[in-house]
Amino acid sequence: MMFLQSLLSGILTGGVYALAGIGMSLVFGVMNISNFAHGDLMMLGMYLAYFAFTLLHIDPYLALLLIIPTAFLFGFMMEKIFINRVINHPHQNQILLTIGLGLIMSNTALLAFSSDPKILTTSYSSSAVTPLDGISLSLPLLFSFAITCLITAILYLFLSKSSTGMALRATSQNREAAQLMGINVAKMSAIAFGIGTSLAATAGALIAPTYYIHPLAGHSFLLKAFTICVLGGLGSVVGAAVGGLIIGVVESMASTYISSDWKDVVVFVLFLAVLLLRPEGLFGKKGGQ
Amino acid sequence: MKEIATIAIFGLLAALLPLLIGENPYLTGLLITILMMASLSSAWNILGGFAGQYSFGHAAYFGAGAYTTMILLSRFTVNPLLTVLAGIGVACMIALLTGTIVFRLRGHYFALASIAVAEIVRLSVLNFEFTGGAQGILLADVTLWGVDLNSKNPFYYGMLVVLLCTLFLTAYLKRSKTGYYLQAIREDQDAAASLGIDIARYKNRALLMSAALTSVTGSLYALYIRFIDTSAVLDLRLSIEIILTAIIGGVGTLWGAVLGALLLVPLAEMLRSNVLGDLLVKGGFIPETSTLGLFLKENLAHAHVLVYGIITVLCILYLPKGILGLFRRRK
Amino acid sequence: MIQHILHITHVSKHFGGNVAVSDVSFSVDEKEIFGLIGPNGAGKTTLFNCMTGFFPVTSGDIIFDSKKINTLRPDQICRLGMVRTWQRVKPLGSLTVLENVMIGAFSITNATGEANIMAMEQLHAVGLSDYATKPAGSLPIGLKKKLELARVLASRPKMLLLDEICGGLNHTETDSILAIIRAVRNSGTTIVFIEHDMKAVTSICDRIVVLNSGEKLAEGTPEEITTNPAVIAAYLGGGHHA
Repeated sequence: MMFLQSLLSGILTGGVYALAGIGMSLVFGVMNISNFAHGDLMMLGMYLAYFAFTLLHIDPYLALLLIIPTAFLFGFMMEKIFINRVINHPHQNQILLTIGLGLIMSNTALLAFSSDPKILTTSYSSSAVTPLDGISLSLPLLFSFAITCLITAILYLFLSKSSTGMALRATSQNREAAQLMGINVAKMSAIAFGIGTSLAATAGALIAPTYYIHPLAGHSFLLKAFTICVLGGLGSVVGAAVGGLIIGVVESMASTYISSDWKDVVVFVLFLAVLLLRPEGLFGKKGGQ
Repeated sequence: MKEIATIAIFGLLAALLPLLIGENPYLTGLLITILMMASLSSAWNILGGFAGQYSFGHAAYFGAGAYTTMILLSRFTVNPLLTVLAGIGVACMIALLTGTIVFRLRGHYFALASIAVAEIVRLSVLNFEFTGGAQGILLADVTLWGVDLNSKNPFYYGMLVVLLCTLFLTAYLKRSKTGYYLQAIREDQDAAASLGIDIARYKNRALLMSAALTSVTGSLYALYIRFIDTSAVLDLRLSIEIILTAIIGGVGTLWGAVLGALLLVPLAEMLRSNVLGDLLVKGGFIPETSTLGLFLKENLAHAHVLVYGIITVLCILYLPKGILGLFRRRK
Repeated sequence: MIQHILHITHVSKHFGGNVAVSDVSFSVDEKEIFGLIGPNGAGKTTLFNCMTGFFPVTSGDIIFDSKKINTLRPDQICRLGMVRTWQRVKPLGSLTVLENVMIGAFSITNATGEANIMAMEQLHAVGLSDYATKPAGSLPIGLKKKLELARVLASRPKMLLLDEICGGLNHTETDSILAIIRAVRNSGTTIVFIEHDMKAVTSICDRIVVLNSGEKLAEGTPEEITTNPAVIAAYLGGGHHA
């Protein structure tokens, strides 16, 4: 029973992680940039959901309809103003730039919202369903998981069917060739970063009802998102989705059978193990650079 | 030769400085921090500047030195210098583990893995009991050869010696086979491999040198402050400060880290002690009772990380080769 | 008696489902200038990458100087004495021309002073000494090719693998590089030469192997190759760049 409980709640949390991981992987694939501000973008999503709820009295899940376009625009602008200027720089400069932007976001949030953690309490925050005796699944997490599946499905359709989606995938496959074929690579980068940002913010908003909202909360999600991307193969969207679920389950199992203090350590050790044993990831191309 | 002489003159002048400023604990403390950041960034530069491998987790090696020293001294009566050696051992073990895992790989992996390793170290220290957990470790007093080390000057000279060693090593590397090989790796790994350079081995060598020197600085810091916890010595923020100091001065240069530390440490201190806020208000730039004035007074002391973020962004966009990079002959 | 220094036996290289090199075998004699030619995409560079340890072979053996080298890393193969140049030159851009060549020399000495002297000698030999203190990235392409050559020669290789060392050069530049290569051979180094330019190859090579679509099409002296109907057909069909 304990195993099943742990497995199921791991999958539910993992779904939300997957969303963040997919966002990061998409940015990595299209732009070949490791976005170290990704966790802080998640944090912004958490606060957006929080303020939509406390100030505008909008249900956090409904607020996604506002958060997704806002975050897309934010990410799109961020790429246009900052990121595209380092797109041909050495990758360490790209990392440092996104670290700098992340520090600005988190510390501005610290000044604006103070370091007191906020809690988003909805009428159903502590509700749970018990499909089986001894198994209890948090209702907000179930909602979040359902929305994650919906968004992932929409994204998948968008990437495989729409012309913009195909252009994004072409850019991800081979930037130079895509450019030669007349794809506006610069625009694709901004779109990818916008989508990545809105996925991060969505993930943030989805965990907001079950998590402490804090200016530095993004920090721990950042490394998780990286672990997910590397596990799934850097740049692979499907890989990131599966990677997210794996990380969610590993974390949940570690909490149950070791201790919740050590769950992050277990995740990071898994990250190193993947680098050691299968650096191209579970779904990546062999010989990934 | 010219560089060796410049370092020697710098060392001499720095050694005379405490005589000049006399008994001023505040200023001496600030100078110790400057020397410390300069050593840390110089040590980081051996790996980041020469081999082009940016470590985003150097706090792990600093913390390894600091914690090894504190754990040993709080339990046993040993010569503090022996604990420094033990710290080097621990740091080198962490470095070897990291290097073995990631130096076969290219691109973003080392950057990512260096953070992961640093986080594993930080969280482990936080969760174990023998490391003092979240409370950290406090040490009443430290004696070396019967001398009580509670004045600041010994640490000023200690840090200076570490910095000078790092600078001498850097100058030597620039003219040695190892240094040239590391630079070849930085420029083009395929070309380097085709010229007979064992890439993983040389990267590991650079990481070990860098980690050992960083750990010594960590041990000295611990002996100097006599209280450490994870947020002081193992935080990601420290790793980023180390890189930022090197970047501002100029990555891959001999003096970049020293210049960066001379600029950044006083700036951070001014923000922390609110000197900057006071100056803005007292200088009449901003009325003290205005909303902005009150806000600055309240918050500027907490804003130094924000300022670091802004400097990082500006530096990457407008000064990617650092201040000394502007004056370099190359490219 | 002729000594074989290199044996390629039944080497194949697949990338996923693509066969880049298929069951290629040949041997290179000591102090020979050996040509490896073929139309674009024939698998020449892939074979070089396999020989120098950058790609693992899918099957087959590569034996250099009586040692099996299939599983060695590029740097180990270089230290055994088989050194390559790159079709797309790889200067160490922010280092000087002299420092670039010193890095080649460091594989036979640990002393900086000695490496410096050897590098200077090598720069003289290829006619680059005037550029010694220039950043390597700033050289024009013709000189970058010479630098590439000087850098590998500084490691005193037993065998030199040249990947289109004359590609993109004009006649004078090509001639001066070919002269250097002849001199290198006369001092005892074996040379394997990938080239598109049939004229350059036939004028300098002792023997030639022709690859086409990853397979060995022909092997022989330059005269035999230039009159081989299959080779002519492959070149005419495969878009000849001479």
